[in-house]
Amino acid sequence: MFVARHIAADHKDLIHDVSFDFHGRRMATCSSDQSVKVWDKSESGDWHCTASWKTHSGSVWRVTWAHPEFGQVLASCSFDRTAAVWEEIVGESNDKLRGQSHWVKRTTLVDSRTSVTDVKFAPKHMGLMLATCSADGIVRIYEAPDVMNLSQWSLQHEISCKLSCSCISWNPSRKYAKAETLMTVTDPVHDIAFAPNLGRSFHILAVATKDVRIFTLKPVRKELTSSGGPTKFEIHIVAQFDNHNSQVWRVSWNITGTVLASSGDDGCVRLWKANYMDNWKCTGILKGNGSPVNGNSQQGNSNPSLGSNIPNLQNSLNGSSSGRKHS
Amino acid sequence: MSGTKPDILWAPHQVDRFVVCDSELSLYHVESTVNSELKAGSLRLSEDSAATLLSINSDTPYMKCVAWYLNYDPECLLAVGQANGRVVLTSLGQDHNSKFKDLIGKEFVPKHARQCNTLAWNPLDSNWLAAGLDKHRADFSVLIWDICSKYTPDIVPMEKVRLSAGETETTLLVTKPLYELGQNDACLSLCWLPRDQKLLLAGMHRNLAIFDLRNTSQKMFVNTKAVQGVTVDPYFHDRVASFYEGQVAIWDLRKFEKPVLTLTEQPKPLTKVAWCPTRTGLLATLTRDSNIIRLYDMQHTPTPIGDETEPTIIERSVQPCDNYIASFAWHPTSQNRMIVVTPNRTMSDFTVFERISLAWSPITSLMWACGRHLYECAEEENDNSLEKDIATKMRLRALSRYGLDTEQVWRNHILAGNEDPQLKSLWYTLHFMKQYTEDMDQKSPGNKGSLVYAGIKSIVKSSLGMVESSRHNWSGLDKQSDIQNLNEERILALQLCGWIKKGTDVDVGPFLNSLVQEGEWERAAAVALFNLDIRRAIQILNEGASSEKGDLNLNVVAMALSGYTDEKNSLWREMCSTLRLQLNNPYLCVMFAFLTSETGSYDGVLYENKVAVRDRVAFACKFLSDSQLNRYIEKLTNEMKEAGNLEGILLTGLTKDGVDLMESYVDRTGDVQTASYCMLQGSPLDVLKDERVQYWIENYRNLLDAWRFWHKRAEFDIHRSKLDPSSKPLAQTAAMFPFFRKSPESKKPSAPETEADGFVLLGDTAHEQRKAAKGKTSEAEDSQPLEWTGQNLSKFEPLVQ
Repeated sequence: MFVARHIAADHKDLIHDVSFDFHGRRMATCSSDQSVKVWDKSESGDWHCTASWKTHSGSVWRVTWAHPEFGQVLASCSFDRTAAVWEEIVGESNDKLRGQSHWVKRTTLVDSRTSVTDVKFAPKHMGLMLATCSADGIVRIYEAPDVMNLSQWSLQHEISCKLSCSCISWNPSRKYAKAETLMTVTDPVHDIAFAPNLGRSFHILAVATKDVRIFTLKPVRKELTSSGGPTKFEIHIVAQFDNHNSQVWRVSWNITGTVLASSGDDGCVRLWKANYMDNWKCTGILKGNGSPVNGNSQQGNSNPSLGSNIPNLQNSLNGSSSGRKHS
Repeated sequence: MSGTKPDILWAPHQVDRFVVCDSELSLYHVESTVNSELKAGSLRLSEDSAATLLSINSDTPYMKCVAWYLNYDPECLLAVGQANGRVVLTSLGQDHNSKFKDLIGKEFVPKHARQCNTLAWNPLDSNWLAAGLDKHRADFSVLIWDICSKYTPDIVPMEKVRLSAGETETTLLVTKPLYELGQNDACLSLCWLPRDQKLLLAGMHRNLAIFDLRNTSQKMFVNTKAVQGVTVDPYFHDRVASFYEGQVAIWDLRKFEKPVLTLTEQPKPLTKVAWCPTRTGLLATLTRDSNIIRLYDMQHTPTPIGDETEPTIIERSVQPCDNYIASFAWHPTSQNRMIVVTPNRTMSDFTVFERISLAWSPITSLMWACGRHLYECAEEENDNSLEKDIATKMRLRALSRYGLDTEQVWRNHILAGNEDPQLKSLWYTLHFMKQYTEDMDQKSPGNKGSLVYAGIKSIVKSSLGMVESSRHNWSGLDKQSDIQNLNEERILALQLCGWIKKGTDVDVGPFLNSLVQEGEWERAAAVALFNLDIRRAIQILNEGASSEKGDLNLNVVAMALSGYTDEKNSLWREMCSTLRLQLNNPYLCVMFAFLTSETGSYDGVLYENKVAVRDRVAFACKFLSDSQLNRYIEKLTNEMKEAGNLEGILLTGLTKDGVDLMESYVDRTGDVQTASYCMLQGSPLDVLKDERVQYWIENYRNLLDAWRFWHKRAEFDIHRSKLDPSSKPLAQTAAMFPFFRKSPESKKPSAPETEADGFVLLGDTAHEQRKAAKGKTSEAEDSQPLEWTGQNLSKFEPLVQ
């Protein structure tokens, strides 16, 4: 069902994040080598690195695109306790001749006293806003009151979460001002992602922790809640998969919020999809190096016959190994 | 390694070899088994690798520690530290003629015998070998030997003979070390500091000490219990790890006073700690009696500022095998690869995976980063369309102008790929609704036109209590059945169901003919039967049996039908009512249900879910009384709403009910495209203004934007403005066309190229063009821009206000 191909990334250290722009024609990567690279898709469908520059003085954890309505704008965040906003400059310089573009820093957000672990632009309809979260558990929401001036950002909210934050995700709906805590998740969370809403009457949230979890958040009907106050949600867990064996590192939704991709300690990328009965199933597995698992990426589970022939070679992880016996 | 617990070492240079040592040394060769079968005698290490035993060396008893010579030549030269403190050089190589032959068998003997704990080859001066020994009151515990130094004959020959029987004449004993350090102390672990050839870090009895060989009288030391397993981070030469019991201490040699951090304590004592040689900041640890390797991923570059920021540490654990692990070794060059050995010498080769980060592109390709590598993964084009995700489907449907055929409305289901029965039903319903609205408007303008779009539920309700039933004769049978007199509303309902055509003639003939043409014999026969024409039903079944694609069994069914008898207690009736449940085709099943049913009770037909909603509703309109019909329609509507089944639009029409139904359809499928186009087909304004409908439309426009389908979106907006004049039509439509003529070079605008309504224009469309041309789509979105001239533009001009 899926075929993977390798792209020479040329980062000197681990890549921590990959991010597409609104149209999927541009891509940004960031790495422990302290740089961000911007990639453009050519007419033939190949990716070409058109910019690469040092952005921070520490590992760059995340990079994210603003909606193109605001221009070609990126935000990055780093271990160096800052987040930064970058804008592409189109000039008549030599860069252009070499097929390179030029990015300038518009602002540095220095409010955090610890590593900034995630940065995300708000949905377009909210204006030019971005949220950061940091290792000391503070979520900050910034706004650029004048969309034409990317160097002016005002800190709108500072929310202390008391626990170290690793990731944030904007809900794609219109309003924000709500408080729900998923108390059922008790292990460290490595990533969360709201699905693109696409006109559904509820929200879908994917959580990467020691397993992949999918929650739905159904707004409680207005008539039933007391007037005013934030919308209450009825939260249901609709899927929970421990196929990654131990930690799940990332989750990402496709454009319609119908396919979820996850990555985990088993070194595989897995795809999840709900059938018409709202049963979520694994629809594809690929190894981190792009090769299909057991030569069959469509099958949900790894080939059982092969697995039983060589049980001691299975590279499984302790998270879910309680069923195993020590021999 | 005291006989029971094996250790394992990779060769530093011949990277396909490793040694397992317990009471003897065994050299193995690793091979990939990806393209070959497992050879006889090989041991499987992983899914794609196996090991072959090359040689065994049992020359050196009482082994305590082993270190592999760091130079390439001679191959497989190992230093073995023994229980009596001696260090022996031994080889597992096959090349016995090497110029280094002299070295093999050489022994380095301390003055006083005690256990040798650790060995370390100097990485720069390859002939220097440091040995750490247990404490002796009158001796040093760190001895540095030069393996090339000459042998000294003044040693007691007795001992020599005993330890190396058989090779007496060639054995060389060295008793004079190059350096002696650490008097009256014990040395538990050693490592050379890569900063300088002459700096040696030693884990002594109660401290860590750095010896400088340029000035042996001085040493730098720090008191600590964490003195075991000292090891330097190969990527940051000032970072050192050591351990004590279950705790790992990480040191920065620039501020050596205390550990920069200690890792979470393990319940069992640690046995090995090792930095990954192929990846920065990855430390692997192993405890006793455990089948888990715990990994600490120290996620940042230590900054020279040396401030208080603690590194972000991500803890992970891997379980390479089910058994307890005796020891492990990182592969010197293969990224993140290690081999582990269990006490009973089973081995396993595996790779620790990097955390993969991933992202979906809007055009359904997935990109992920694994380590330093990037991978892109796209859905294969030739996939079975049923398995395609709705994102792909909507994109292809947008390209084929799905939803935009406003004349032959039913054709939209063909544009959608002609694969989804619900979409087929939906577009036929909308087609009929449009047709009869126009029909009504012509007959009596402003009368019932709007009612058609309100669905059968509303239509039926409007005629409550006006219908009486009458008895009708079966054609071809001497039998009568109660059939409702069809009033105008019921006729309209039957028309919407597609059973009868325009006009007042209640004739299902044309409908039957079209079904027969489509090869839907069972359905046609059932419809004929419901219209009390058993002869026609039998005839249709015969036709089906004799046609090419038909089923011969239809003849048998026809035969069964022809035996129909009205007798209440007949054998025929008894057999049919039991055997009908075994029929696979739902239409054949309901035919017998109908024939065997008591008068006025048709549940076997009405609640057969596999029969199309339109046929069941049409049946109900013919046979149910007003109150029954109302109840039935109400019930069915709720069922459809619950399930989000588009067939139900026939009942709900484009009303609030319809929006409810569509809401569950969107919740279930995410198909905002169908939802938007359906609601824009003829909904009254108050329905169009429903927040949900607006939200679907907004979301669909957003999708078109993300896919850069600019004029698909323009077409959509124009289509929308026809029904909802308040939705702002695009005055800029004409103005935007010149943008498409931009050459691909002029892409990537810097300033926000935003028009008032949020229209973002980016040039370059050639890729989509190419893709679309490849695909099965009838019309390529982006092949238009450049040819989008006069005639097309003029087509749209009248619509643009």
